[in-house]
Amino acid sequence: MIFRNLIFFLIIFLCGCGQKDRVYQYKDYIFGTIIDIKIYGETENKSKQITNLIFDDFQRLHNYLHPWEKSLISDMNHAISTGKSFIIDDAEIIRVLKENTELSQKTDNFFNPAMGKLIALWGFHEDNIKQSIPSSSVIKDFVSNMPLMEDLTITNNTVSSKNKKFQLDLGGYAKGYALDRAKIILQNNNIKNALVNIGGNIIAIGMRGDRNWIVGIQHPRKPSAIASINLLPGWSIGTSGDYQRYFMMNEKRYSHLINPISGFPSANSQSTTILIPPSKNSGVLSDVYSKPLFIAPTEIKIEIAKKLNIKYFMIIQNDEKILISNEMNKVITWIDLKDEKGITVY
Amino acid sequence: MKKVLPFIKTVKLGDVLIIFMLMGLIIFIINKSWNTPIGQYLKIEKNNEPPKIISLNQIKEEEIAGLLGDSNISIVDGKARFSKAPCTKKYCIHQGWINKVNQTIVCLPNQITISITDGSESYDSVNY
Repeated sequence: MIFRNLIFFLIIFLCGCGQKDRVYQYKDYIFGTIIDIKIYGETENKSKQITNLIFDDFQRLHNYLHPWEKSLISDMNHAISTGKSFIIDDAEIIRVLKENTELSQKTDNFFNPAMGKLIALWGFHEDNIKQSIPSSSVIKDFVSNMPLMEDLTITNNTVSSKNKKFQLDLGGYAKGYALDRAKIILQNNNIKNALVNIGGNIIAIGMRGDRNWIVGIQHPRKPSAIASINLLPGWSIGTSGDYQRYFMMNEKRYSHLINPISGFPSANSQSTTILIPPSKNSGVLSDVYSKPLFIAPTEIKIEIAKKLNIKYFMIIQNDEKILISNEMNKVITWIDLKDEKGITVY
Repeated sequence: MKKVLPFIKTVKLGDVLIIFMLMGLIIFIINKSWNTPIGQYLKIEKNNEPPKIISLNQIKEEEIAGLLGDSNISIVDGKARFSKAPCTKKYCIHQGWINKVNQTIVCLPNQITISITDGSESYDSVNY
């Protein structure tokens, strides 16, 4: 009998190991980018089921927001370009439009989702980038009458614009918005620990067991991480970099991050990384607010960070010097720093 | 003895089999957990400085300035060791090569620690 009890005990003891402690990982390809979801502390069935809910929601967003494939937004763009008004019978999309206007104004239009036409002129509205530089007269002409979010008039569910060049491109917003959507779906389904990565933008939900989720930050010129960070529960991280969508011509790099003032790709930095503390729209902010910091001239970057209340930022400049905020410097762990030319802490 | 003997008599063949099976299982588990996977990265830590993590898949001589002077760390095909140290006892060099996750060599006099980490352990996801 003693032996039988012992065996029982051992079997129960051994069954306790494994299962719940696992991380289940799922990937999908939506918004033209890779989506990677990790869920900790749930059964495989539940993890898979909830991840599919999230992927379905992202597909729905894709069909709403895609700037150049057939979508609600591209239909709206078409109507505006022909001078017509357009009816959007969807409260969520109206909210999205209003939030974009608000964010664009806050960033002094350095984040300007209304200039989709300029992005297209540079050839970035294709899955395979065209690799050609538009003529400077075309760019000058466009910039002289730059469409802005405030050109969009929203009355109830009808939108119109006085500027026919207005073309909404939510490429700098959609991934962040999707992060916030993922957060809501996970919370509604009582999943407490997960890590969602949408094309590099990441939000942490809870922790990975007894430790925080750890996120590596991509080195802009190497196939490895330059640093890592403990992403605390509810925090988001976003990077704008010139190494994901770009083309090279005459040994010069042209990225998709275009300065609305000059009409040319911004070339003063290689990447800008920001951390956003927990808030209702921390995903959106991590996506949107990295843009003005990347695009704006170096002299006013710090000022912009202050104005937007971005406390955690790291800017890797084109000369490989790193500008980092004091707060960010305290939480970052450097992995590969030997080639950098120096770090300035603000 | 008197008490134990009737107890042994109650042991059946099945019980013996189960005992042996369990012993085998225990030996198997111990064996497995000792063979921890071979690491991919070397973490170099200096006093009061963030760690430096470099790949183990290279041939490299890394020079690190410590409290007393420069220590050299050799990395050859997935393993690492101290090859030069300014300390008097040279314990760190005598430790030899390390290549498994969490193996660590500490050079106390020069305040340098090297340890092996698994790539996947260093972060869960990449921000780009």
